[in-house]
Amino acid sequence: MAQRIVIDPITRIEGHLRIEAEIKNGKVTDVYSSGTMVRGIETIVKGRDPRDVWAFVGRVCGVCTTVHSLASVRAVEDALDIHIPANAELVRNIMFATQYMHDHVVHFYHLHALDWVDVVSALKADPKKTSEIAQSISHWPKSSPGYFSDLQKRLTTFVESGQLGIFANGYWGHPAYKLPPEVNLIGVAHYLEALEWQKEIVKVHTIFGGKNPHPNYLVGGMACSIGIDDASAINAERLALVGQLLRDAETFVQQVYVPDLLAVAPFYLDWGAIGGGLGNFMAYGDLPTNGINDRTQLKFPAGVILDKDLSRVMEVDPRNDDEIREYISRSWYEYSVGDQEGLHPWKGETNIKYSGPKPPYEYLEVEKKYSFLKTPRWKGHAMEVGPLARVLIGYALGREDFKEIVDSTLAKLNVPAAALFSTLGRTAARGLESLLVAQWALEFYDQLISNIRNGDRRMADTSRFDPKNWPKQAQGVGMTEAPRGALAHWIVIEDQKVKNYQMVVPTTWNASPRDHNGKMSAYEASLMDTPIADPHQPVEILRTVHSFDPCLACAVH
Amino acid sequence: MTTTTSSADYKKLRRVFVWELPVRVYHWLNALAIVVLCATGYLIGNPPALMSQSEASFRYLFGTIRFLHFAAAYIFFFNFLFRLYWGFVGNKYASWKNFIPTNKEFFQEMWEVLKIDILLKKEREHMSVGHNALAGFIYFLTFIAFLVQCVTGFGLYAAMSTWWFAELFVWVADWVGGDFTLRNIHHVAMWFFIVFAIIHVYLVFYHDYVEGRGEISSMGGGWKFIEEEAFEKQREGVDAYTNTD
Amino acid sequence: MAPVSTKRPTYYEELRGKGYTRRDFMKFCTMMAAYLGLEASGTAQIAKMLMKTPRVPVIWLHFQECTCCSESFIRSSHPIVADIILDKLSLDYTETLMAASGHQAEEAMHQTMKDHYGEYILCVEGSVPTAEGGVYCCIGGKTAEQILQETAAGAKAIICWGSCASNGCVQAAKPNPTSATPIHKLVKGKPIIKVPGCPPIGEVMAGVLVHIITFGTLPELDRVGRPKAFYSKRVHDSCYRRPFYDAGLFVESFDDENAKKGYCLYKVGCKGPMTYNACGIMRWNSGVSYPIQSGHGCFGCSEENFWDNGPIYRQQASFPGFGIESSADKIGMAAAGATAAGIIGHAIATNIQKKKLIANVIREGKESEKEL
Ligand code: HEM
Ligand code: HEM
Ligand code: NFV
Ligand code: SF4
Ligand code: SF4
Ligand code: F3S
Ligand SMILES: [Mg+2]
Repeated sequence: MAQRIVIDPITRIEGHLRIEAEIKNGKVTDVYSSGTMVRGIETIVKGRDPRDVWAFVGRVCGVCTTVHSLASVRAVEDALDIHIPANAELVRNIMFATQYMHDHVVHFYHLHALDWVDVVSALKADPKKTSEIAQSISHWPKSSPGYFSDLQKRLTTFVESGQLGIFANGYWGHPAYKLPPEVNLIGVAHYLEALEWQKEIVKVHTIFGGKNPHPNYLVGGMACSIGIDDASAINAERLALVGQLLRDAETFVQQVYVPDLLAVAPFYLDWGAIGGGLGNFMAYGDLPTNGINDRTQLKFPAGVILDKDLSRVMEVDPRNDDEIREYISRSWYEYSVGDQEGLHPWKGETNIKYSGPKPPYEYLEVEKKYSFLKTPRWKGHAMEVGPLARVLIGYALGREDFKEIVDSTLAKLNVPAAALFSTLGRTAARGLESLLVAQWALEFYDQLISNIRNGDRRMADTSRFDPKNWPKQAQGVGMTEAPRGALAHWIVIEDQKVKNYQMVVPTTWNASPRDHNGKMSAYEASLMDTPIADPHQPVEILRTVHSFDPCLACAVH
Repeated sequence: MTTTTSSADYKKLRRVFVWELPVRVYHWLNALAIVVLCATGYLIGNPPALMSQSEASFRYLFGTIRFLHFAAAYIFFFNFLFRLYWGFVGNKYASWKNFIPTNKEFFQEMWEVLKIDILLKKEREHMSVGHNALAGFIYFLTFIAFLVQCVTGFGLYAAMSTWWFAELFVWVADWVGGDFTLRNIHHVAMWFFIVFAIIHVYLVFYHDYVEGRGEISSMGGGWKFIEEEAFEKQREGVDAYTNTD
Repeated sequence: MAPVSTKRPTYYEELRGKGYTRRDFMKFCTMMAAYLGLEASGTAQIAKMLMKTPRVPVIWLHFQECTCCSESFIRSSHPIVADIILDKLSLDYTETLMAASGHQAEEAMHQTMKDHYGEYILCVEGSVPTAEGGVYCCIGGKTAEQILQETAAGAKAIICWGSCASNGCVQAAKPNPTSATPIHKLVKGKPIIKVPGCPPIGEVMAGVLVHIITFGTLPELDRVGRPKAFYSKRVHDSCYRRPFYDAGLFVESFDDENAKKGYCLYKVGCKGPMTYNACGIMRWNSGVSYPIQSGHGCFGCSEENFWDNGPIYRQQASFPGFGIESSADKIGMAAAGATAAGIIGHAIATNIQKKKLIANVIREGKESEKEL
């Protein structure tokens, strides 16, 4: 007999995600993924000044903060044919890289780790042995026995207080937890260290964008002028701070994040065969090194992989009316052309129309419409986007930097390339691309310094900032690779105002409901067949869902 | 010239003391304050582009502009309060009754003035001595605008001032939903003053020209010169409009 | 029945349990007093509070939001968040960080609501959609509003994090498709602290909590319910670019010469003069910078209704129906122009219509002149 379970709220994510699953013989046999909160931001930006939109859509998400603002200014610049100065491109790239490192580290330790690390078991660890393990995997200095035993004491008092706070009611002791107590203790230590570190790296955003979360962007470049002889612009002191932060971040990624990932993975190699899902991957590419329109000079390459076929990478064109379309046949919206049609985002519509059960409800009507996410498709195919997609595309295109990290990791873990198509692969890809990004950030930083040294002080092109210089009608698309995957915003400008605005977001691709043909999107597909030891404590579902790093505020907006 | 008009054709004019000194002083202080407030206010809202090489510490231009605005604002406000007071103690031309329509005749007169002065319907001048009804009513609206401007102005000023008087107005920003909205109301209201001043000055000249009663100078010396006929009618208490023609 | 609070260890007990001495404890209290700007005698007061006070249970709800308030909170540098959640509060429910999901998560919340009825602090991040019976935000099958009412009932006080909970923020901007509603409009009869900002500064958020746990009282609020400590000054009042404002030196367009010199951003739309927040004083991310210092004007993110307060890059609101480039001045100038034109027309018409009358007056005057 199949048993229907509901996990709502899914925690340690951004936003409101609900999973309903059928469990039969200890396996997931059917599954539905639903986003249950909507705000209507695409509707809210209509009629506004296109130059202001980055601020509105930036508020789509405070976890992947900056990425929507970036997509938005790019969309407007694309529509108005504005080319930003090289320095602005570099600053945006540095902020992009900063966002990645922050988002990925926080995801790994604070949002994902508790699926693999048993906090309570850490109480039983031997501090000396913990120290030995820690020192064997990394040069990270905080690894003495005293350090771990102090931490353990602190943890013990905490647990004995009876007030477990955020750790209350976890799945502690569940048979799916496989780490020895010592590795668990390292995990807890780095949970706390990462919490402290993450507030440092974001200072790069604060310097260039004035604050974090939600730093400021500007159509035409960036607002942070370079004034090497002025106290209140980007000068030597500000740049030195950026450099320091980027180097510290690289160290943290190299000495804490990735070693931990590689230390935990061997205990969970079975997850290299679980949670693979669609096998279709897509990336728009990002980190331009020769202007955003030169799609051949991107640090993150663009492309599409179908059916796990790494021998062929296809091209993706977000402007083509036939490629990307959003469907709503299973979503709580209406289209003027009928609910079975798909619309390209330039013609997209956002007419919210709830038709689900009246709350409070126990189950969704999954055979009808069941989510506030729309369902995007590329030439009709469901696509997985995110770190795994990016790494696979770089790898499949034969890019040396990608090949090196992927092959060495496969060798270290002694697993075949096929293990990449899994929950473990997705989690590993996130760490591996962080390594790349950490290095690239320093490259961009060096280029910025050398530009300034060579006398290029420009940070914005404001020649077309004044709406008087705009055409009556224009449309554009702004693409980026958000930490969770391919993100694009489509804008239609008319009479100096936003006529239409559509965002198709990474988590929309991954977490969407089925399409008009009943085809599943990435979350649902990857959850099929997941083994479930105890339907009351479905930590296995969390593992795979978390491996995507869900962001529902993004997905629905 | 062959015309032989007898002096009997001429209108006999009589001097009437209309504007007492306090009203005249009020008027010019008010006019001056408003001109200064509009000019400085406009600059506060739209600062000019100055490309200067001098160090900020040597300049206080915007501070000065704002200071002038606040200084003029205080003069404007207390002058206005004074005028309200004078509306109760001054002569009949200064009385508040000239401003607030209280009876049918007031509206009738407004309609008449509208027909004569604005629509230019009748080839005739009207006969009132102080403000005509329409002017009086417009001034009433003006006084409301004064009030709006003082309340919004002091509402904005409350955040910058430590004097208890300005702080009496802290509620204004909360009431309209924040300083931004408050500022915009204050700014929009400026244009009412500008448009009023343009029309007002024109009409003063218009009356002076069309009626020949010394309208402009009346705000200087206080005197107007009205026709014997009008004088008689006023004295009889007959409405200046209804029984002519 | 023993009072509930005795079940929980106090900070002091907690610190002792962690192996700290009483001296360490007093040192901590002195630091805390200094941080809060208290006289020396304040130290004893804090020590007393901390010795009596157990870890305060907190339920932190997420509704229509973007989680940037939680993100900002974890950016706090003093105290750092690890210390807050391990030593100072018991963060019993927060969807962003808690280990448990689904039923287990809901159970953790209900446990706290039951065990600490009347004692827990309810933090709300996000607004509540009230349209269509609340279907635009459901968690565990219940609407945000239901959850809010249930949890608010036993709360000692409610903290509204960010502009979403305080004033509705971006989703409440026109046309507010989901009827996003701030908390104070839905919950009555409870102390409500608004901590607006999009997001608020991390240290401000931590500061509000530290105030509550240190002094055992709620911070003093201003007229609209914001802690006075952080919202009583305009950004403009503490802006380091203020001398340029006073001097009349402005950035005319982004990245111009004046921008490189750090002139005032007023003319590119800075709303600092109309925005109450601590950005200029505390700055962001432990004092590194704030929007203005990084060259972009303040757009008033802690003000009610700021998304609809006109375009970001201009001082004045635009007028609906007149296009985005409209402003009071453009319309005012048009009105003044129309008035002037009307006056010219009127003057001409007067000379035609009142020809006889004017001729009479002139004749009178001229004849008198002749007679003399
Ligand atoms: C005829 C009367 C007045 C006019 C036409 C006038 C006009 C203006 C204008 C156009 C502004 C600029 C608003 C903007 O930024 O868009 C302004 C600002 C201001 N006005 Fe007035 N105003 C008047 C009376 C007053 C009064 C009575 C006060 C009382 C104190 C006052 C206080 C202020 C303040 C505090 C500001 C803001 C200045 C700043 O932020 O630096 N105003 N006014
Ligand atoms: C050339 C400049 C001006 C002249 C010759 C002038 C003359 C006059 C005269 C003759 C009156 C009485 C007219 C009547 O009641 O219909 C008057 C009243 C008034 N004027 Fe002016 N005016 C001048 C400028 C201004 C300006 C710039 C303002 C302010 C914007 C102003 C505001 C007023 C007000 C408020 C009254 C009503 C006075 C009262 O009874 O309280 N005037 N003015
Ligand atoms: N999905 C998503 Fe985002 C990301 N990364 C945005 O585009 O998280 Ni909030
Ligand atoms: S107030 Fe702003 S930053 Fe905070 S949750 Fe709302 S949108 Fe995000
Ligand atoms: S930059 Fe903004 S807050 Fe600072 S002085 Fe200028 S207007 Fe005021
Ligand atoms: S935009 Fe917000 S962050 Fe501060 S400077 Fe203005 S209040
Ligand atoms: Mg969309």
